[in-house]
Amino acid sequence: MIENFLAGSAALFGDPTTIAIFVFGVIGGMLFGAIPGVSMLTLAAILLPFSAALEPAQGVMLFAVIYCTGTYGGAITAILFNIPGSPENAPTSFDGYPMTQNGQSGKAVGAAVLCSAIGGIASALVMMAATEPLAQWAIKNIGPPEIFALVFFGLIVAASVGARTIWKGWMSVLIGLLIATIGQDPVGGINRYNFGMPDLAAGIAFVPAILGFFAVSEIFVQAEKKASGKYKAPKVSMTFPSFLELWMHKLAVLRSILVGFFCGILPGIGATLAAFMSYGEAVRWSKNKEEFGKGKLEGVISAETANNAATGAAMIPLLALGLPGGALTAMMVAVFQMHDLQPGPLVFMLSPDLIWIVFAAMFYANLSILIIGVVETKTILNLLKIPFQFLAPLILMLATVGAYISRGLVLDVMVMFLAGIMGYLLRRSGFSIPGIVLGLILGKIGEQNFAQGMQMVHYDIGEYFSRPICTILIIAGVITLISSIYRAFATSNKPV
Amino acid sequence: MAPPGATPSRILGEGSTLGRLTRGSWIEFGIFLLIVAVFYGFSFEFNQTIEIYIFGATAWPRVVIALLLIATLGNLWFQYKNGAASQGTMGQSNDEPVDLSEPGTLPRMVAVLLTPFIFAYLLKPVGIYFSAPFFIAAIIWLFGEHRWKPIVIMTCVIYVIFIGLFLVILNAPLPQGNTSPFYDFSAWILTMNAKLQGL
Repeated sequence: MIENFLAGSAALFGDPTTIAIFVFGVIGGMLFGAIPGVSMLTLAAILLPFSAALEPAQGVMLFAVIYCTGTYGGAITAILFNIPGSPENAPTSFDGYPMTQNGQSGKAVGAAVLCSAIGGIASALVMMAATEPLAQWAIKNIGPPEIFALVFFGLIVAASVGARTIWKGWMSVLIGLLIATIGQDPVGGINRYNFGMPDLAAGIAFVPAILGFFAVSEIFVQAEKKASGKYKAPKVSMTFPSFLELWMHKLAVLRSILVGFFCGILPGIGATLAAFMSYGEAVRWSKNKEEFGKGKLEGVISAETANNAATGAAMIPLLALGLPGGALTAMMVAVFQMHDLQPGPLVFMLSPDLIWIVFAAMFYANLSILIIGVVETKTILNLLKIPFQFLAPLILMLATVGAYISRGLVLDVMVMFLAGIMGYLLRRSGFSIPGIVLGLILGKIGEQNFAQGMQMVHYDIGEYFSRPICTILIIAGVITLISSIYRAFATSNKPV
Repeated sequence: MAPPGATPSRILGEGSTLGRLTRGSWIEFGIFLLIVAVFYGFSFEFNQTIEIYIFGATAWPRVVIALLLIATLGNLWFQYKNGAASQGTMGQSNDEPVDLSEPGTLPRMVAVLLTPFIFAYLLKPVGIYFSAPFFIAAIIWLFGEHRWKPIVIMTCVIYVIFIGLFLVILNAPLPQGNTSPFYDFSAWILTMNAKLQGL
């Protein structure tokens, strides 16, 4: 492994063009992640056509680097503006944004920098050491029933996050699942709910939906505060967390690395579920549960460690099975295909050089978060000093381009603004925006894997329980569901 | 025993109350019931069998619809018992409801919500290059900046950042409009960019 890693590093840093592409990916990912309104996906969508002109290793490496640094960059906007750069940063905002409101933005961002780097580096190391054996294990043990079981568990966890009541949490997730049914059904390709609009046959793209639910709705919330004279400018703070403060959360970091890596390894799930589940576990294990959501450093640490830990793990199903774990890894499949390559078990035999350049680049990209992240963060924190009336149109313009660029459809811009209005009204009524978004993302994956799983077991649901991983996840989901139902009824009689 | 924060309101005419339900609770219930009805109704449009999958294309959406109906009824029941009380879920939003009854607040919010939508609607015929400055200026004005000099300066700054990043640096394909003279304006901008790239 060490020789391969050194060879990959030598190939990465031995060619000036490859170095330039690596640096561009690191800075571009961080910047696009950290600018409210656009995300790493915007940059990746813009760069996709140009990647055909690069060498295959350079193209795949560029997207892998953007994935690592963009996942970290999205935390900055989640913390400073309550606008997660991508869905995996949504749980970061639960405590990160209240910390900004309490004048602790520097501390939250500092923790995000360090924990993203730790999560990412740990994940990159495990990825290098274990991709091949893990891929073999995953091929044998992970199938559609397991993925469906994980989606089931993830959705139940998501229903208890972010809403005013458990009922509204469930309604949020179900609305997300309902939106996900728009477009072709994943088994037979039958058009559903296109309401006479041909463009809707491809479904609701989740980039515009996410931009609308998070970025645009946040602009509307701030507009409301401005209009009613209740707007308070966020307090800028450059105080980073002390080593002791971070050391106190070492168990949370370790737990989040494990959760992140486990979720990331499962095809189709990616970093989003990792961040939600890690945040949920942090709350579950904490003695001071009531402090979460009000500006607790552990909330930021758990979400950010897990989502970056998932980036390395997400490469395993991508490279070993050819299955992308999210939007950006799906674009990486497109890069492979542009160069007449097919990610899958054969890629390790046919293109080992490519694999090790990508692995080395991901390791160094996570390391560079530590170095460049601190400098960049101090610059980005100054964005908070810009009056919101000037920042709002800039964010809306960037979001417009972000929504339009991936498919070139004006419909996507309209979907984004519609999602923004919906998000604003639902937030006012105590619904959970992260719940809706997770329902939207996992809906199609859940349906597809349920259908494939049922076909596999010849429609005998009992067969699901003959598969150990599936059984554990379903039982965990059912226990969470029962406890959630109990709380929904118990607190109905005794409100908190 | 009334829970803190819960305000019973009269909804069935003078003198009659129904638990702690407010008009807002009924509106919310009505909207979700409408969503359930519309999605269930439209599910008959694609009620086809799939040869390889016995549940067909409607099973999954209908299960989601049924669960949403149950959750909606549960939510109404919870509000009937407890009004607007919270259950303290994880990572609950800190959004404080703002009173929109202040004079001028509601019309301004309606304008804020509609302006981006009008902008999006105009993207196809007018294009982004022509409509963007008007949209930027409108948003700055709606956010409470009414001095014309800052509006003009910041509109120009944001427009230049936008053009510089997406057109000059990234060469991103953006909507150009399909009606004259807006399309001609977009074409002129693109020609200028091509000349700049050629330098």
